[in-house]
Amino acid sequence: MTKRIISKFLRYIVIIAFLAWILIPVLWMFTLAFKSYPEWRVAYFFPKEPTIMNFILVFEPKQIIGMMGATALVDPVTLPFINSLLVVGASTVLAVIIGFFTAYGASRYNSPGPFSLFFTLLTRMLPPATFVTPIMVYYANLKLLDSHLGLIMLYSAVTVTYGIWILKGFIDQVPVEWEQAALLEGATHIQVVFKVTLPIVKSGLVVSGLFIFLLNWAELLFALVLTNVQAVTLPVHISKYVGAVGQLYGPQAALGILSSLIPVVIGYLIQKHLVTAFTFGMVR
Amino acid sequence: MRSKPPKVIVYLANIPLNILLYATLIIPFALMIYLAFLSWNPAAGVDWWQAPFAGLNNFSRALQDSRFLAALGRTTAFVIIVVSIEFVLGLVLAYFMIEEFKGKKISLSLIIYPLMLPWVVVALIFYLFFQDYGPMNNIFLKIILGDAAQNIHWFLSSTTAFISLVIADIWQWTPFIFLIMYSGLSAVSKRLIEAAQVLGASTRTIFWKIQLPLIRPLVLIAVVLRALEAFKVFDIAYVMTGGGPGTSTETLSLYIYRVAIEYHDISYAAALSLIVLVILAIIIRTFIWYSFERGVRT
Repeated sequence: MTKRIISKFLRYIVIIAFLAWILIPVLWMFTLAFKSYPEWRVAYFFPKEPTIMNFILVFEPKQIIGMMGATALVDPVTLPFINSLLVVGASTVLAVIIGFFTAYGASRYNSPGPFSLFFTLLTRMLPPATFVTPIMVYYANLKLLDSHLGLIMLYSAVTVTYGIWILKGFIDQVPVEWEQAALLEGATHIQVVFKVTLPIVKSGLVVSGLFIFLLNWAELLFALVLTNVQAVTLPVHISKYVGAVGQLYGPQAALGILSSLIPVVIGYLIQKHLVTAFTFGMVR
Repeated sequence: MRSKPPKVIVYLANIPLNILLYATLIIPFALMIYLAFLSWNPAAGVDWWQAPFAGLNNFSRALQDSRFLAALGRTTAFVIIVVSIEFVLGLVLAYFMIEEFKGKKISLSLIIYPLMLPWVVVALIFYLFFQDYGPMNNIFLKIILGDAAQNIHWFLSSTTAFISLVIADIWQWTPFIFLIMYSGLSAVSKRLIEAAQVLGASTRTIFWKIQLPLIRPLVLIAVVLRALEAFKVFDIAYVMTGGGPGTSTETLSLYIYRVAIEYHDISYAAALSLIVLVILAIIIRTFIWYSFERGVRT
């Protein structure tokens, strides 16, 4: 009996310690974002007079000049935020659509060839730094540098593999008999894909889409190399913000919160599917 | 329905994917192989197709480049350190989370949410956390070290800067290993464990002789995927330490990025990329062969 109590006690200690380890660093950023300028450097968590000044500074950076040794004027977060929504949204839709078609072929007929499938997996597993250089040269020749289109195409190409493997799992579970029945009724193959299979795997489209959105929303390196002014995304903006105004802890924290809002909501929605998603469907 | 696929399905499955892959990735991959054998620096004002051939010069230069070799070794060490710590922590946590208890659902949600945060934000969180005025020195280390904690400058010494990167990575990715181990352990049949208990096996024996062997395929998947992901490490190094002090926390990705973007030495960056790529492609190919084609699934 005592042994049981000890093991129960031990479990709670381990879990509480882990939760504290997870929560404390985030809590620091969270409270820092609501601290006023004199409190940025003090060692307590909760601000005495909470303010939303930091969030305003992120959108209207002109007021930053002269504070805390900030020299460079940083752009407002508005454009990067819109760019991120646009680029990530469009590339997600593209990756899911292409992923669905490919997954259907792979699930039902073992097409397409192993090379394409291996290649999509490979580019996902390789460090982006190892193939961003030639993409930059190639995009420079095509005049796609600093364009939304270039980034959208690249983002969908490196995440389409998740669309394929997540959706393949969903399509595998649709009974082939239903499709055959529709074919016997006189439906064409195209009709079967769009009218029978597609509606059934709708939730799969949502799951893979949200997961791809999450990954592309976080992507830094490609955007850092391939954008400059026009198409700068949120992660690039954050990295520049840290470099240019190293001591402006409050606005930095506010920026961190702004860019985590969407991922946290998405993460909550797809919790149950995260294992499948992260492992390319190798683990269910 | 493994019959001959109708043409329309073949087109639908192949054409969009291949257009996308060729347009954005396969052509650049081919270009990279070509670039790696050139001597080209765009700052010199010539286009790449006019640049002179350099033969294997870029590759022999890489093998003597101490900064490249250091970055390679450092990144490998980083991978080994973070993956082993994350594996142990993730497995222990999964073991304790497996039984039902009050507040389990909310604990699960909280434990896995670092995975959703953009890597840049994680870097930012720890950049703020490890500042000289931040809570690490002034609240937590102060309890242990007293006022001496004020003298620690996390990003000014190469050891502590490296440790800060390791901590940030462990913070974000332990939940990944946890998640896979947790789903594996929950799939182990309760009856099997009950049967062992009836036969008098201790909790420890059950763990080492039943649960762990059953989730072994998952351990492999988790560790390899995590190791490949950890090998990419760029964001936290770029944002938190900038590779500094000096080049002492420069990771492989960061070094290649700098050679290409800051030093404009494109053909050398392509050669470095190619070396890393070939090594990794062989590892990944073996892994994919092992886990997909031999059908390791649970």
